[in-house]
Amino acid sequence: MKKKLLSVVLAASMIASLAGCSGSDAGSSASTDQTPQTQAADNNDAAPAETSASTDTPAAADTDAASVTLKWAIWDKESTSYWQALADAYQKVAPNVTIEMVDLGSTDYMTVLATELSGDGSDFDVVTIKDVPGYATLVQKNAIMSLDDYISADGIDLSKYAGTTDQITVNGSLYELPFRNDFWVVFYNKDLFDEKGVDYPTNDMTFDQYDALAKEMTDTTFGSQIYGTHYHTWRSAVQLFSVLDGKHTILDGEYEFMKPYYEMVLNQEKDGVCRKYTDLKAEGLHYSAAFSGGDVAMMNMGSWFIATMLSNLESGEYDSSLCGNWGMVKYPHADGVEPGSTLGTITGLSVTSVTDTPDEAWAFVKWVSGEEGAAVMAETGNFPAIMTDEAMDIITGLSGFPTDDASKEALTVSNLYLEVPYAENVSEINSALDSYHGSIMSGEMSIDDGIAAMNEAVQAIINP
Amino acid sequence: MAKGLSRQAKRDLVAYSFIAPNFIGFAVFTLVPIVFAFALAFLNWDGSNPITFAGLGNFKQLGKDIFFKAALKNTIIYCVGTVPLTMIASLALAIVLNQKVIGRGVFRTLSFFPYVASLVAVTSVWKMLFHPSKGPINNILHTVFNVPVDQLPQWFSGSLVLLSMILFSVWRFMGYYMVIYLAGLQGISAELYEAASLDGANTWQKFLYITWPQLHSTTFFVVVMLTINCFKVYDVAIMLAGGGSGELTTSSTVLVYYIYQKAFIDWKLGYSSAVAMVLFLMVFVVTMIQFRGQKKYQS
Repeated sequence: MKKKLLSVVLAASMIASLAGCSGSDAGSSASTDQTPQTQAADNNDAAPAETSASTDTPAAADTDAASVTLKWAIWDKESTSYWQALADAYQKVAPNVTIEMVDLGSTDYMTVLATELSGDGSDFDVVTIKDVPGYATLVQKNAIMSLDDYISADGIDLSKYAGTTDQITVNGSLYELPFRNDFWVVFYNKDLFDEKGVDYPTNDMTFDQYDALAKEMTDTTFGSQIYGTHYHTWRSAVQLFSVLDGKHTILDGEYEFMKPYYEMVLNQEKDGVCRKYTDLKAEGLHYSAAFSGGDVAMMNMGSWFIATMLSNLESGEYDSSLCGNWGMVKYPHADGVEPGSTLGTITGLSVTSVTDTPDEAWAFVKWVSGEEGAAVMAETGNFPAIMTDEAMDIITGLSGFPTDDASKEALTVSNLYLEVPYAENVSEINSALDSYHGSIMSGEMSIDDGIAAMNEAVQAIINP
Repeated sequence: MAKGLSRQAKRDLVAYSFIAPNFIGFAVFTLVPIVFAFALAFLNWDGSNPITFAGLGNFKQLGKDIFFKAALKNTIIYCVGTVPLTMIASLALAIVLNQKVIGRGVFRTLSFFPYVASLVAVTSVWKMLFHPSKGPINNILHTVFNVPVDQLPQWFSGSLVLLSMILFSVWRFMGYYMVIYLAGLQGISAELYEAASLDGANTWQKFLYITWPQLHSTTFFVVVMLTINCFKVYDVAIMLAGGGSGELTTSSTVLVYYIYQKAFIDWKLGYSSAVAMVLFLMVFVVTMIQFRGQKKYQS
């Protein structure tokens, strides 16, 4: 009898421990009300967030009555040049303000931040917004405040943000102001084109011309292989060619318009023009390693890669004989669409709903997103959200920046479409599209089946 | 003698005080969240806004959810494949390494190694071995067995990804369960085998009529533990099928991943708890059936 009892208890405890593991995902977050700090660390055992989470508390005490400390959520403080630069520059303009940066790490940044801002234990004043799905989450959680009143009171001219703010407006209100703006261009390796005697890509290429050029550059000879082009495994790198005509977005719920681009890329894969998606997934090849290896003629990537190229070539981490002679051109465009239409990703700042000092927080957000912040961003080799001529000159004048005119010209954007515009269910739509993108690219589904599955899944999210 | 307390009550108090530290921790960090998760399954909550009542809404939605159904199917297939295979493999290993073979210490260590090694490291090695175009496995298939390049198996996508996950798990866990079986084997009295030998039993008969029945309670433990661990599968799927961005397609997604995704990416804590309840019920029912079977067998 005793044995029986023991075994029942044993089984119950084992089941309970399972439920503890699976159920705690939902259950334990309930405790965030009381302990947001530990909870955030808990959720990210594996993420660098925990280890790198460091609070930079300046030693300065609040002796001055008017002095204010703003607590600002950021990621990767050590490896990202502009956080400290922005904070230092702002503290010069506003000496009574102390900026206290809290590094939440870049892996799962938005998840950690959302957990931090759940409940009322948070004391952040300003938070950085890394992506639109995360932004949508924070807006829906009422964790960040609408900036409309401030924007109209201070007369901020939103047209300077190249239309990006329209794509993140929630029911007519804006909850963040972008300060960094990356957009996609085509990087190419000039040496490979010279060797082959092929003309460089231009700022006015149609997709057909781009496809032909990629094929022309390809060499499938074993041992001296050249890939005409390279696509990273992100959905953005392939699927979002299709939204550049300005007629479609990823929120549509009907995705037949993506078919020609999937066909183009999968045909290129078949012909050895680009590396296979399944290979890239299996080996986890980073796009920077692919391009700097010197066997990729063209690669579409965001403008953040410029800063990587400049610094890694200078430090000698990339072999300049393989990829030192590089250039950029604008994204290819569909027939009848203006060249210079491209994808963009913005990074913005928001003021939290729980801050005690919203006015000071807003002043900081306004400054960083304004022209003075833009100059600081440009000096660190990053693209500010407001692209002034001054900022452009600073970037194109950086040492190592390609000297040809086409590369400078490539930085002018005519239409910028956010990779992910705002929608209420954008996070779920994003997950569904990501999943089926993987299915199509790995050959699990045909293009038609994959698109049909996307339609079905997203329709279920939009019209439940 | 303390007044008012019987000897029995005092003894109980001592026992409870020993249990208390563990139980308090369990209650705060496991029991309360579990109970809350049960409740959440019938509610809608995003972690910030007021909780609203959902009734059975979350469960009704499950029936229409393509990703949930895919995750459920994959988890079940994974369990059905992994549990018996791991059990058979670990029992076979244990029987072989229970013999007096030369270097059995080395082989025992070797087969236990995958369990100790870092999951990230061993999945990387597996990904190299099974790399769809450059891996040695596919190279052998191509050069020795003349499989055309475009028909080489894609081990980490499509229909094969679950098989890869199952094989990987069997390889990884068989060493651990082998140790448990070894302990069981060593508990079997040598006299039984001697008696059987005298009666003229062959090796197979000895296994069937002595080893297997004697290992009955060990097997029960192994199967229950394996089943519970299988339903919890998450890391293997992420590491083998996730690749760079970590997104799992419908052919490789599993329940625990979906629970995480719904809870902390989409912030649908109620819906996520409903999925967790389905997982709980599945494990509960399977384990109860196993206990029933065990009881029947014993009587």
